Amino acid sequence: MVKSYKLSQILSNLLAYIVLTLFAAVMLFPFLFMLFTSFKVPKDTFNYPPRLLPYEAQVIEVEGFEEPLPAYAVEVNGKMEEYVLVEKNIKAGVFADPGDLDNSYTLPLTDATPVLENGEPVMVTVDGEAYPMFDVMVGDETKQLVQTGATSLGAFANPDNLSQVVYQNVRLSTPVESVKFHPENYVDVLELQNMGRALTNTTLITLLVVLGQLVTSVVGGYAFARLRFPGRDSLFVFYLGTIMIPFVVLVIPLYQLMVMVGWVDRLAALIIPWVFTAYGTFLMRQFFVTVPRDIEEAALIDGASRFQILRKIFLPAAAPAIATLATFTFLYAWNSFFWPLVVINTGSSQNHVLTLALNILRGRAADAPNLVLAGAAISIIPPMLLFILGQRFFIESAMSSGVKG
Amino acid sequence: MLGNAFISIDPKTKNLIRVTSVWHIVLAAVALILGIATAAGSVLLELRGVLRIVLIVICIFTAAASGWAVYELWGFRRRGRTISLVVNYLGFILFFVLSLHFLQVFIDIDKLGETFGRGLIALVGVVIGYLISAFGDRFEGKPELSQQYSKVGKWVALISFFVFLLLVGIIPAIATLISRMANPFIFSLVLMTAVFGFFIWTIWREPSAAALKANNAHKEALDGFLFLSPNLLGFLLFFAGPLLFSLYVSFTDWDAFGNKNWVGLQNYAKIFNLNVQPMDSPDMVVTEVLDTTVYDELTRVKLLGKNFMIGAQDKLFWISLRNTLLFGLLAVPLSVIPALLLSNVLNSKIPGMKFFRAVYFLPSIAATVGVSLIWQWLYNAAVGNINYFITVAVNFFNSTFGLALVDPQIRWLSDTKTALIAIVIMAAWQTMGYNTVLFLAGLQNIPKELYEAAVVDGAGTFRKFWNITVPLLAPTTFFVITTSIIQALQMFEQVFVMTNPPGGPNNSTLTVVLYLYQNGFQRFKQGYASATAWVLFLVIFGVTLFQFQRQRNSEAYDI
Amino acid sequence: MNRKLFASLIVLLVTLSMVLTACQPAAPETPAEQPAAEQPAAEEPASTDEVTLRWRTRPDNQAEIDVYSAISEELDAEMDGVSLVYEPGGSESSSYQDVLKTEIGAGTAPDVFWIPGTDVADFATRGLIMELSDVAGDFDTTAFYAGPMFHLTYNPETGANDALWGLPRDVSTFALYLNMDLINEAGAADPRELAKNGEWTWEAFLDVAQKVRALGSDIYGYGANAWWGPYATWLNAAGGGFFTPDRDACALDTEESIAGLDFERSLYVDYDVAVPYGEDSEPPFLAGKVAMFQNGRWATPGVRANADFAWDVVGLPEGPNGPGNWLFWGAYVVNANTEHPEEAWALAQKLTEASTQAKISALGTNIPSRVSQEALDAFLTFTPPDNNQAFLDGIAAESNPTAEGPLWVGNWPEFDAIMGAKVNAVMTGELSVDEFKATICSEANKVFQQ
Repeated sequence: MVKSYKLSQILSNLLAYIVLTLFAAVMLFPFLFMLFTSFKVPKDTFNYPPRLLPYEAQVIEVEGFEEPLPAYAVEVNGKMEEYVLVEKNIKAGVFADPGDLDNSYTLPLTDATPVLENGEPVMVTVDGEAYPMFDVMVGDETKQLVQTGATSLGAFANPDNLSQVVYQNVRLSTPVESVKFHPENYVDVLELQNMGRALTNTTLITLLVVLGQLVTSVVGGYAFARLRFPGRDSLFVFYLGTIMIPFVVLVIPLYQLMVMVGWVDRLAALIIPWVFTAYGTFLMRQFFVTVPRDIEEAALIDGASRFQILRKIFLPAAAPAIATLATFTFLYAWNSFFWPLVVINTGSSQNHVLTLALNILRGRAADAPNLVLAGAAISIIPPMLLFILGQRFFIESAMSSGVKG
Repeated sequence: MLGNAFISIDPKTKNLIRVTSVWHIVLAAVALILGIATAAGSVLLELRGVLRIVLIVICIFTAAASGWAVYELWGFRRRGRTISLVVNYLGFILFFVLSLHFLQVFIDIDKLGETFGRGLIALVGVVIGYLISAFGDRFEGKPELSQQYSKVGKWVALISFFVFLLLVGIIPAIATLISRMANPFIFSLVLMTAVFGFFIWTIWREPSAAALKANNAHKEALDGFLFLSPNLLGFLLFFAGPLLFSLYVSFTDWDAFGNKNWVGLQNYAKIFNLNVQPMDSPDMVVTEVLDTTVYDELTRVKLLGKNFMIGAQDKLFWISLRNTLLFGLLAVPLSVIPALLLSNVLNSKIPGMKFFRAVYFLPSIAATVGVSLIWQWLYNAAVGNINYFITVAVNFFNSTFGLALVDPQIRWLSDTKTALIAIVIMAAWQTMGYNTVLFLAGLQNIPKELYEAAVVDGAGTFRKFWNITVPLLAPTTFFVITTSIIQALQMFEQVFVMTNPPGGPNNSTLTVVLYLYQNGFQRFKQGYASATAWVLFLVIFGVTLFQFQRQRNSEAYDI
Repeated sequence: MNRKLFASLIVLLVTLSMVLTACQPAAPETPAEQPAAEQPAAEEPASTDEVTLRWRTRPDNQAEIDVYSAISEELDAEMDGVSLVYEPGGSESSSYQDVLKTEIGAGTAPDVFWIPGTDVADFATRGLIMELSDVAGDFDTTAFYAGPMFHLTYNPETGANDALWGLPRDVSTFALYLNMDLINEAGAADPRELAKNGEWTWEAFLDVAQKVRALGSDIYGYGANAWWGPYATWLNAAGGGFFTPDRDACALDTEESIAGLDFERSLYVDYDVAVPYGEDSEPPFLAGKVAMFQNGRWATPGVRANADFAWDVVGLPEGPNGPGNWLFWGAYVVNANTEHPEEAWALAQKLTEASTQAKISALGTNIPSRVSQEALDAFLTFTPPDNNQAFLDGIAAESNPTAEGPLWVGNWPEFDAIMGAKVNAVMTGELSVDEFKATICSEANKVFQQ
């Protein structure tokens, strides 16, 4: 009985792990894809079938050629050899046995000479279609074949002995590739595409918004929680009511306000309006209400000012709530896109934030997904590093937001 | 009694209060004159419509409040202190902000952005300092050692911060600030700030408070206003004010260049202008049924055996609303149901759960723009990974089971049938982990005894889940669903980044917010866009209210 | 009593907060006048009597940005008393023109900027760009192609051509970028040879596309991006067009327009030779998976930089009404609120000078907008592609290209949005050509009523 219980336990655990791992793979795969693609060369990103790791075609220096030649794995006499592509687009024909059209050879046109009769090419009709007849060199022997199609071939040569040449289709040949990471993509993106400046701007904005919002929320939350003043409760209800209002309602008037104040295209527009929020105040107020009153009253009797009480008693006690608010604000400020898109213009790039720079990068580097994804990585990795360092904070913040709400 | 009170006031305080009264008289007079001058239109400042009215209103209120303050202060009444402080405080803030504005402090945050990168290293020093002092807390048994640590940490942080300021360029900044103050206009602003500050001090100081018979409740209320004021002022300026303004704009035909006319309800009328016409046969052409100079075909319905064509004056709004609701309808369950199941698996006490929890959480902290770019490539019809996986799977099934499945070759983002679904899948991927964590929090609040009791009663896993977990998780579920819906109805970034043209193909991913953006910032119908925003707000409000109602009802049954 | 106090307090707060918005009336100061605060490095730009002009043009990739930055530096050195700041601006996907409009509204727009030809009317009627005929005096407008200049000199009030809104930066026509590796491999005829012999017709085009498509499931014969340009050329080649000759009504439902649209539809739906409509064709073309990629001259730098296959260009195939093409152009215009109209006009002229255009052409970006044999000869020498003539043939009268033009009556962006959505439905097979014909103009004509 006990044993079978254990067995079923193990089985259900195993099942749980399988399900969890499956989901984890789905969750992680896009990030891995981003990371590996950001180290590729543009051509490699269009490879089909898609591969995760960055590959690069190998080239070999060959005497007599200015540029190094691309290497391919070519089958020679049943063995795979590393050959170089010396010439492309060699006109070729598909030559077939008139008796059996499926038995065909694809060879350069130079290996074939048309069979003439009275100066006219000889035509052979197979299955109702007329084909020209050629003398074709197949290996060492000459065959009389009909040309059924045209194509082109590449000449692959042994890099050590250029006279050993094999002709075959270039596109379908297997290039010799090796895994090679291109970290310089990041340098490219940071410098050329202005992501470096966007990164510092985003850091600055996030820092100021988080700090500012913490200050106003803590102070305001304290006033709502502990200080009696006329109109407090109706004001609080008003605050609460506005939490639900979607930001889109505010976009247009806020934009017009920014135009009036002259903050369009200025970092100030990304910081100052975001320092004051109803949500943060609400969050802090909810927490401060739960702090016991007696310590505070004792301090008041000792002659402490309200500010001292806030600093000495409430602030230390509110660490979890502050962490929650800081986490949310951080993510919001770092990832926001709609408002910067509206208020920061594309022209003067020195005031771009990461999301905006990314939006421009995707247009400019549409032909280089490796760069676009390197840009995406630059915007995604910093919060992710923070998340790994302070995982507990993030997840507990999320948890508390659900329970309290 | 009254006489006694006067005797206890020392002459200095009495004089200060008298001076303040005089200040209020001056302030009232100046405000009155300025207000009248502005109203008469003879002010040097060239002010445009709304601003002029605002200035007049401010002047009138300043004058009235100041006059009142004089009256109350003269009688040494408490209320005089309140009014005087409020007037002076607001004046102080106003002139302080104006000074900052004209000193270009706000605008120069840009320049800080330029130099900030240089100072980042020093900021790391601040963090290290904090870590050192926090490390000291580990030595709880040895207070001396812990103090030592916190002291060292403090100094490291302070010095690093100082270095940071230097690196960022505080010295030239201060120099320019001072040189700018030489401007007489700016200087007078700063001076006014100081004057207001001085009169706050005259009334705020303890002897004045006593002289004006301040009691505890009065002081507490003032403290309350003071503490709330930064938040409240900012909130009014950047939230409540724009909110009202937005309502006003929605009744105009405002463009982004300052041209506006009051159009009343016209914007709303255009949004809601629908026309239903019966059709003789279901495949009639729109020009035969509707007045196409006004309406466009929205959809066709068959009702009670009769065919109708619905036309709308603004077809795109209704299409965007449909897409938005459809998105919510698909994305919410897709991100909530797997999350509910996953959280139950995660809640079992087997090792490694924290790792999985962290992995699931990852997508929700990544920027949506970045994530959209990643998925755009995954969705690529020709070389994308998703189609490749499908091809591999189809080939696998075909070869192992001898089936003849056809590789669908889905053109995810360029096919009207799949574009919205593609975005739904991505959005669900991004929010699922967050919801899982929320459910996990809810699950941990469910008492274990309930499950134990159920096991004793012989309940299986499924019955435990259905009879205990689901009902007790209802509050969390409510929260998750409500926030998910609110988020889903505001979808914008994904579509903006992933589809080309945004909202395409054939408007199949046009959402309300995207439509609003296009109207407001591409076609410059900001009045109309504002009206759209309010309609969206009403929809969100309605959905949330409906949720609340259901939540209340279900609670009544469950408990 | 307290409540009353509170109410008055709130009112005061609201009004005070409103006045905050008043601190900055009308025109914000230009950056040039701002002393550098919080800027430690003493990098005073040049002497103070220099006028700073900001200018902008839309680049599609980094190669183009580099070209324009270099031009800006050269002109800066050439022009006395003016220092230039070049800013790239957004790319096509980040709504370049719309952002520009908001910037003009907010007073932060550059002095001289480039806009696509289709947007000239919108900018002009909104009063966002300066009418230059007073500043320009006797300016010889015949030095540029007549098509663009017709629109750039149109006076919406009189209907005559006596205004001047700007100067064309460049012109471009569509050509087909060829991947010769694929065409050779498929054994298809060389389109350049066919064009030379006058056999480059829709049928020949379809034949090449089908042969290439047969090479593999991820190899396509034809690719074009999903915007109005590509389908405009098919319409044009069939003798159709977007508008009536007076440009004040929709003409998408004429027999000719429908014929052109139907042929393009067949490429996507019936023959399945094209990169699926709506998918970006440029990446697969650069990856060597598309044989014929329809695009303008602006794509050349990107192809030069990225293509590692044999490539060239060829003109568009001939339809029932000849080859058909589209004369794309964009113009440098002057911000209506610029403080230095004289200098801005001088800059606009410099930017369109033959020597400047030659430099830009040398880097491959565009075709000179001036009708000068010298400039054209120079253009032809900038290879690859070898077959530069294909672009010029597109401009030539025989191809009867339609000059891209603004809508002075009606609203182009809205027309484009309505047309784009419907054409998309046709190209993906959701909407039949007949339905398109029956409904398109009743919907699209609304933009002319406003």
